[in-house]
Amino acid sequence: MHIQLQGISKRFNSLLANDKVDLDIFSGEVLALLGENGAGKSTLMKILYGFYQADEGCILIDDRLVVIDSPYAAMALGIGMVFQQFSLIDNLTVAENLMLASTKTPKWQWSDRTHWVNTHSCLSQLAPTIQPTNRVHDLTVSEKQLVELVKVLDADARVIILDEPSSVLTPLETQRFWTLIRQLADQGHAVVLITHKLEDVLACADRIAVMRKGRVVEVCLAHNNQKPELERHLSSEDLIHLMVGQTELPVVHPVPPSLAHPRLHIQNLWVGEPAAVSNPGHNAVRGIDLAIASGEIIGIAGVAGNGQQTLADAVTGLLPLTQGTVHLDGAPVHQAGIPYRTRHDIAYIPEQPLQNGVATDLDLVKNLVVKDINRMPFFPRRAKQRAQALQLIQAFNVQPPNPDQPAGNLSGGNLQKLVLARELSGSPSLIVACYPTMGLDISATQFIYEKLFNHAQTGACILWISENLDDLLRYSHRIAVLFQGEIVGIAETRRASRQLVGKWMTSGRQAA
Amino acid sequence: MTHLAKAKFWVQLSLRWRWLLLFLLSLGGVTTTLFLIPEAVIAAPGSAITVVDGLLISALRSTAPLLFVVLGETLTQRVGVINLGVEGQMLVGAMTGFAATVTTGNPWLGLLAGGLSGLTLSTLHLFLCLVCRSSQIASGIAVWILGSGLSAFFGREFVGQQLNHGFSTIHTPALASVPVLGALVTEMTPVIGLSIALSPLLGLWLYRSQTGLTWRAVGESIPAAHAMGINPFHIQCQGILAGGFLSGLGGAALSVDYTLTWAEGMTVGRGLVAVGLVIIARWNPYLALPVALLFGGSEALALRLQAVGAPISPYLLGTLPYLVSIVVLMLNHRQSGQSGGMPDGLRSVFDNTT
Ligand SMILES: Nc1ncnc2c1ncn2[C@@H]1O[C@H](COP(=O)(O)OP(=O)(O)OP(=O)(O)O)[C@@H](O)[C@H]1O
Ligand SMILES: [Mg+2]
Repeated sequence: MHIQLQGISKRFNSLLANDKVDLDIFSGEVLALLGENGAGKSTLMKILYGFYQADEGCILIDDRLVVIDSPYAAMALGIGMVFQQFSLIDNLTVAENLMLASTKTPKWQWSDRTHWVNTHSCLSQLAPTIQPTNRVHDLTVSEKQLVELVKVLDADARVIILDEPSSVLTPLETQRFWTLIRQLADQGHAVVLITHKLEDVLACADRIAVMRKGRVVEVCLAHNNQKPELERHLSSEDLIHLMVGQTELPVVHPVPPSLAHPRLHIQNLWVGEPAAVSNPGHNAVRGIDLAIASGEIIGIAGVAGNGQQTLADAVTGLLPLTQGTVHLDGAPVHQAGIPYRTRHDIAYIPEQPLQNGVATDLDLVKNLVVKDINRMPFFPRRAKQRAQALQLIQAFNVQPPNPDQPAGNLSGGNLQKLVLARELSGSPSLIVACYPTMGLDISATQFIYEKLFNHAQTGACILWISENLDDLLRYSHRIAVLFQGEIVGIAETRRASRQLVGKWMTSGRQAA
Repeated sequence: MTHLAKAKFWVQLSLRWRWLLLFLLSLGGVTTTLFLIPEAVIAAPGSAITVVDGLLISALRSTAPLLFVVLGETLTQRVGVINLGVEGQMLVGAMTGFAATVTTGNPWLGLLAGGLSGLTLSTLHLFLCLVCRSSQIASGIAVWILGSGLSAFFGREFVGQQLNHGFSTIHTPALASVPVLGALVTEMTPVIGLSIALSPLLGLWLYRSQTGLTWRAVGESIPAAHAMGINPFHIQCQGILAGGFLSGLGGAALSVDYTLTWAEGMTVGRGLVAVGLVIIARWNPYLALPVALLFGGSEALALRLQAVGAPISPYLLGTLPYLVSIVVLMLNHRQSGQSGGMPDGLRSVFDNTT
């Protein structure tokens, strides 16, 4: 199978998201689609999936012109896609979501079980911990990503489009994911992989296409491709250069931790619904003690679903505590709720910014200033707010920099930047960041790390939850591992190694 | 080992069907106790039994029309649309159904005509909400007022007429002698049976079939459903039309099977009550039956208390069903947290940005 996108253009109001794009997709090959935030990658693939209609251009499959005017048409042609922002339905169970997406689902669900058994085996192969009867609402982000993957595989797609599928997977899951991608390609599927991670590209891409500002600027063969006949191979530097258009990345050095003044005290913290507490592993927090010094960055590692989200919600005062206390500068945070959070400048970067971090229908200005709502005068001064917002938008390079558009129109990475811009502005005394660089391109990621460092240097405590062990080990002062709601190991990063942390994450035992 | 496995199997099976088992057991229990009550007690005037005798059937009779409407509105709201116009659709259905029955003499045709007229009126709501994208609340109220006006206008000549050939009841003489239940069986009409059967049927369809799943998906999230290859517009159309048909049918059941007359504004707010009952039933067709029965039952009880001369003002007695609904709504709310099974798509009804 050979898919040709020819001269695709797509315009959103005044913004040209795709500008006469030509792209070939071959079966049996993994095509990595790279490019900075807002380059138009998601838009292009949504056009192929029929979610958007191109303004100009056409799509050929095996030299035949096809019209893809809805996702349904795309699915009928064997094209499946995993969206960057999840398209699972929260209130339905995993099984129901899978059945919805599959074209082979029997009309009545008690009659034919064979199809369901197939799906089930696919699910247990990829994500053994997920029960089909779980509600999607209760899954962690990485579990949702896996369900999305199963959904596409289950639909028997011959062309599989994955929009940043690996951004929150743990190292182990990432390994499994790469193997799966290679397997799919070897079985003759065409895979399009949109990603910001170099490792993904190096591990499984055959061909690389790079987009910048709505155009495909470069198509070349990847490093690991065995076919000798084509000449261009790339090193990682070349790739970074292609992706961001500059080679020198700002290098950030961690300052040594100053353990003199602990600002945040977490004592014997227990959180979670009664049912969840008795059933460890399901996002409860059980007996956590932690002190964070002023200017310290603590990295929290762990397989998703071991209580990270609950810990973050509890520390920021969003969840009621079952037991224990959280003190910031000697004052309790735990019964405080949101007004306290804004008054004392606790910055919170939640996971899934689209659902938890922004009001999608409001414009960027309102989304940015809403943090100061308690400090606003009775009649807020609109012009001043706008100027402030513009400044933030420029500083964090939110694209397109139009403060009056609704936040829902932003691309995935730019949405994340918007949340970061709001939360990392001012001088917060505590920053709780869940996967802060999810969906960001390489230069934006560096910028965010720099920002976090600046805040640390001016005395903020930072609780940083991430799946990316390398970055955690490189940039945080101490690293702690959550396992089934408990901290099973904590060490200074200088003394910790990947192996040690990995062991904690999987076995949950504190090494002697 | 095999014994254990067998026992486990039976336990699981009975757990799975525990509601049905419970229902059958209580039904059996009630029947046997009724058989055991001596004749003399029943005959004594003013005893509790005289109040209860025939209460179930009168409860069912006032429930049936409402149940159709509750089920219809459940379907509509399941696809993420609120239709407040059910009141108007019910009125139009009641009027058309009555007129058709009077002119043709066939109550089945009356029911069909009522359902179709409700469906026709709901196309207006469909057009306003889905095509013009106007507010669902405003559109619903417009449909309601239009429906009551139209039914009053076209129903003028039927006011005061009485049907004397409604549905015949199902005769089963063998059971007729059982106290309390006897009345239930002898006075049961096909319409009541249909409404009761419809509730579990729609439940099965909604929760166990592929199309039912599609409907639920659309009600939860239109973009997600769209991304899964569903056409949300078509599904929403179907949801509104199904709701329209069932509310018209409910109206026709009211005039053709229950009151046997037509009067202007005869639904007295039942359509709106149905919208509330959908919430109490948590958008669940299985629960629609008991919830609607709660309302119908308290209505029947109020009438019965009035008939035996209870020393309460009839005006106050008339509010009993509504009071009961409010109390249940409160309890229900406390139990289930804020949303209580509400389809996510309904949240967006109240903001106008779509
Ligand atoms: N529905 C929409 N309405 C208006 N503008 C949009 C819409 N969707 C995307 N855009 C704009 O189109 C441009 C390209 O967006 P797209 O989502 O394709 O970027 P992307 O390459 O996927 O970026 P990222 O890496 O951040 O996900 C962005 O500037 C975005 O703001
Ligand atoms: Mg994107």
